[in-house]
Amino acid sequence: MARIIVVTSGKGGVGKTTSSAAIGLGLALKGHKVVLIDFDIGLRNLDLIMGCERRVVYDFVNVINGEATLNQALIKDKRVSSLSILPASQTRDKDALNKENVGKVLEDLGKLYDFIICDSPAGIEAGAMMALYYADEAIITTNPEVSSVRDSDRIIGMLASRSRRAELGLEPIKEHLLLTRYSPKRVAEGEMLSVEDVEDILSIPLLGVIPESQAVLKASNAGEPVILDTESDAGQAYQDVIDRLLGETIDFRFLVVEKKGIFSRMFGG
Amino acid sequence: MAAARIEFKGSSFTLSVLHLKTATIADIRADLAKKVAQAPDFFYLVPIVVSIDKLNDDIDYQGIKTLIEEFNFTFVGFTGAISKEQRQLIRECGFSFVNTAKANTVKKTVLVEESVAEKPKAVIATPQRDLYTDKIHRGQIRSGQQVYAKDQNLVVIGSVSAGAEVIADGNIHVYGSLRGRAIAGATGHHKAQIYCQKLEAELVSINGNYWLSESMEEHWASPVYIQLTDNELTSSKLI
Repeated sequence: MARIIVVTSGKGGVGKTTSSAAIGLGLALKGHKVVLIDFDIGLRNLDLIMGCERRVVYDFVNVINGEATLNQALIKDKRVSSLSILPASQTRDKDALNKENVGKVLEDLGKLYDFIICDSPAGIEAGAMMALYYADEAIITTNPEVSSVRDSDRIIGMLASRSRRAELGLEPIKEHLLLTRYSPKRVAEGEMLSVEDVEDILSIPLLGVIPESQAVLKASNAGEPVILDTESDAGQAYQDVIDRLLGETIDFRFLVVEKKGIFSRMFGG
Repeated sequence: MAAARIEFKGSSFTLSVLHLKTATIADIRADLAKKVAQAPDFFYLVPIVVSIDKLNDDIDYQGIKTLIEEFNFTFVGFTGAISKEQRQLIRECGFSFVNTAKANTVKKTVLVEESVAEKPKAVIATPQRDLYTDKIHRGQIRSGQQVYAKDQNLVVIGSVSAGAEVIADGNIHVYGSLRGRAIAGATGHHKAQIYCQKLEAELVSINGNYWLSESMEEHWASPVYIQLTDNELTSSKLI
């Protein structure tokens, strides 16, 4: 059975799509069959981050409405053959999805893939509820900042009450905390919440901490998920996330301000 | 939801009761005339209930009502310890039967039961109880969630997030951090208390008296219980 993982946050702009793309590609690079679904109907972004925006013919809504088959709509990633993307519709709105048909699509995809990654829209309305409804696991993407933490808290409450698992009284959705745009320097200066602060407030297991990095913006603009940038700290941090998702225990990195070496101090590096 | 535009509530009033010892209209008229003549202004439009306690079955209800109104009283209804059949008869004549307060508590009927479609809420105030049972909530209460322990204490095994709300008619115990709002003694219970492992609340309230975060500085982030002393909230360290 495929693992259905929703990447969600409540608040917008915290890195849901960036994380979905990195995690999807990372899992595929490990040899798993992965499909990435963009649930942000009307604000299609995932295809841009994945660099396949020019290859979108049919979309998720077409499949839901029976206007296209799954095979027609799925876009195979050019870098890794075991990864596919199901793009959102840019011209429709979030009411275009309904529970029954989404369930059907997920069921069909479940037969073909090991992982189904659902990139949720921001907010707590119908679109976000649809993305999390069928999830087995949830990656709660949070910035170390009070409003983001509070919105994540709200979403965690929704996962526990509005999901299919909650409605049927099954084992609850497995929650993972993914802290993005983390800056140890600003934490040290007291400008940002620390990992411990966020963990204390949300009290769900930590999956990863992605440092604030120039590499992320560069990767997004290039349509190359940041996990491919193995030189960057953000890319490495996502790689750790993949290993943890696959059951390994890995120490957290990039949590403290790196001490500058003697050379960089001398040459102002 | 729009506010209800009408509402039924029970209230107690002091009404004049005219005790009849005779059912003969002419006799009543003669006596009433004398009384009213003594203070016509005092009796003008006074609401009046007629007690037929001491009368036999043969009563001209319509006649009595007409007579009462002749003297410019406002007729309310009949009262008295009488048989069920008699009450039925009174109703059939189109008049209300009014229980006295004493009969009211014993039989738990409401003053105006006959004349209203929906039963008004019981007049008796909810008694303050010292002992409540517990409602136990396991796990964190997240932002946007609300948990209400009606007629109970609320025990939360976990934290209450900022933006969450816990309400109890009794006490509130939070075995974790209290970061949201806690409202104890919600339906009026001045002995209710709030206990928490770590006080970082947005608001705490007991029996309508509340504190915002700024009032909690003394014991901020400490294990604390909060109670009401002379209508003032006070906090004390738990350990």
